[in-house]
Amino acid sequence: MVKLKVKLSLFNLLSKLVFTLLFVIFMPFIFERINLRQVDNDLINKREDVIQMISEIGIEPFVESDSTGAFGSFDILKEEFISLEKVNLDEDLNFIEVSLRIIDNEEITYRIINYTFKVDGQQYLLEVGKSLSSIHHTQANLYKVLLIVWIIIIAVTFLTDLQYNNHLLRPLDRITGKLTKISTPSVFDKKPVNTRTTDFVKLDESLIGLMEHIEILFRKEKDITANISHELLTPVSIMRSKLENLLLSEGIDRKAASKIEESLKTLYRLQTLVNSLLFIARIESHQYLRNETFSVGSVIEELSGEIRPIAVDKGVNLILDAGPDLEMNDANRSLIFSMFYNVVNNAVKNTSCEGTVTVRSSFDNEGRFIVDVSDTGKGMTEDQIKILFSRFKTSAESRVDGHGIGLAIAKTIADFHGIGLQVVSEKGKGSTFFFTFFKSS
Amino acid sequence: MNVLIVEDEKSLAREIASFLRAENFICDMAFTGLAASEKIAVNLYDFVLLDIGLPDYNGLDLIDEARKNKVDTSFIVITARGAVEDKVKGLDLGADDYLAKPFALVELLSRINAVARRKFNVAYNDVVLGTFTMLVQARKLMWGDREVDLTRREFDLLLYLVLNHEKVLTRHQLYEHIWGNILDDQYDSNFIDVHVKNLRKKLNAYAPSGWFETVRGVGYRVTTS
Repeated sequence: MVKLKVKLSLFNLLSKLVFTLLFVIFMPFIFERINLRQVDNDLINKREDVIQMISEIGIEPFVESDSTGAFGSFDILKEEFISLEKVNLDEDLNFIEVSLRIIDNEEITYRIINYTFKVDGQQYLLEVGKSLSSIHHTQANLYKVLLIVWIIIIAVTFLTDLQYNNHLLRPLDRITGKLTKISTPSVFDKKPVNTRTTDFVKLDESLIGLMEHIEILFRKEKDITANISHELLTPVSIMRSKLENLLLSEGIDRKAASKIEESLKTLYRLQTLVNSLLFIARIESHQYLRNETFSVGSVIEELSGEIRPIAVDKGVNLILDAGPDLEMNDANRSLIFSMFYNVVNNAVKNTSCEGTVTVRSSFDNEGRFIVDVSDTGKGMTEDQIKILFSRFKTSAESRVDGHGIGLAIAKTIADFHGIGLQVVSEKGKGSTFFFTFFKSS
Repeated sequence: MNVLIVEDEKSLAREIASFLRAENFICDMAFTGLAASEKIAVNLYDFVLLDIGLPDYNGLDLIDEARKNKVDTSFIVITARGAVEDKVKGLDLGADDYLAKPFALVELLSRINAVARRKFNVAYNDVVLGTFTMLVQARKLMWGDREVDLTRREFDLLLYLVLNHEKVLTRHQLYEHIWGNILDDQYDSNFIDVHVKNLRKKLNAYAPSGWFETVRGVGYRVTTS
């Protein structure tokens, strides 16, 4: 994972490198060509000068009628030379070439124009040469300078790019910062981020809008939950009080008392169902605080103390295989208790006499804290597992097995705390529930 | 003791009143917040049972008013909303206890008694149960000078039955009182039966416990001598 500003700067650097490198590679060739052209023009001009001079003063001052019949002249630094000699060629020459010449035992590379002309029927070859070493020399120097300038430019532009991108993308950092530090939309910082970049303004605005919308929905849900609970629980409350008073009245016969108690049981069932649904709704609408610090081990120990009498009575062996422990921060202890309680209780319920329920804690190979609850009960099929945590879809069989709303509660609490809850099961062999405590939870 | 029941559901208010009257309380009722406000200002109540979900009044304002007027009344807040913040708010404003609807009438009674004991600083008396003695304050059950070894839950169970002696308590009333914070969807849970069985076994190791009855099909009852 690389930050956007670094990516942008790196891309800029890379593209700059590629394009400027091309330029730097081809620069000497271009430079050489331009230089040669310049030299060629010079040579042609010089040739014209010489021809002009010959036509003005005649060929004699250059070519004495001595035996060699040749004329040569070069400057002290051997930068340039002119030679004129008699030749007898079948054709006229007029071309420019690069050629080696030895002057005073020194080998020098010249750009030379070869030109033949005739004076009084005699063919002469005129050569005007210019040394290329100076050209090559300047070229090498230029190359060096170019490289240094290039490196400086690249370095400077990379740094300024980085700086500018950093500045440009700072609003994005602020927006992501606002998002990552919150756990619920209600605490989202709704103050707009200070930026003149339209895209960021739009992003920020739509996020703020979205958060406000979610907050309104949460509040509505909270209100609905409160209202439904009031509407449903008030009649239950009235009936319950009436039945309880009836049960307490003098001289009520046993049969009637038993019937009243049955009605109370049914009412209690309704009450528990409503309360369970409300409980889930309240967790989901974040009405519980997560501000406690406690050890997971202490919670498991406490709840197994509560469940043990039932397990013993049933003949189920409840084993606490306490391994490592985890200190939870920013969590709600009574919710975490409820989460484990529901799963362990469910395991005990679904395990028959002589069976075993084991609660184990460990670290997995990624260093995450794991609590697993395994039983030697009836186990579940794939289809049963699929609807296990759903609060409304309870299959007929699972209802008989006693997988009520408890597991849905456990799942909701796990989600609220960012704890992973998975189940592995084999029909007839038993089930294992895994709680995975991610680093952030 | 004087109790004012503030509850807009008349039918519920009457049931509560009828129950508390049987327990020798003097009961008054107010069905609206306004009526309650007037009654609290004029009369002297030891307790106000306050449903904070009143249509015309924010119930919590009544506590606020009473506290400002230096009315020395204990408030037990009743709500069907039950949201966490309500609870905190209620106790912050000086409610003495809090009950979520629906509640058991015996639970209401035991809360009232607990608040009364705190308020008037009355210690619990030791209770004689057949050949056993319950030291309520010390949380011990004695047989002669030998202590019966009970778990915390077993003691809680027995204590609740003792505090509501001569009354039949259903399994759910007991369950709700002791494990009320644990939401278990097993409405036909045999939780209580298991604890009662264990408790009886421990008692019978010392002496017969005829004072601890099972009322078939209904629940359990403790008779104090």
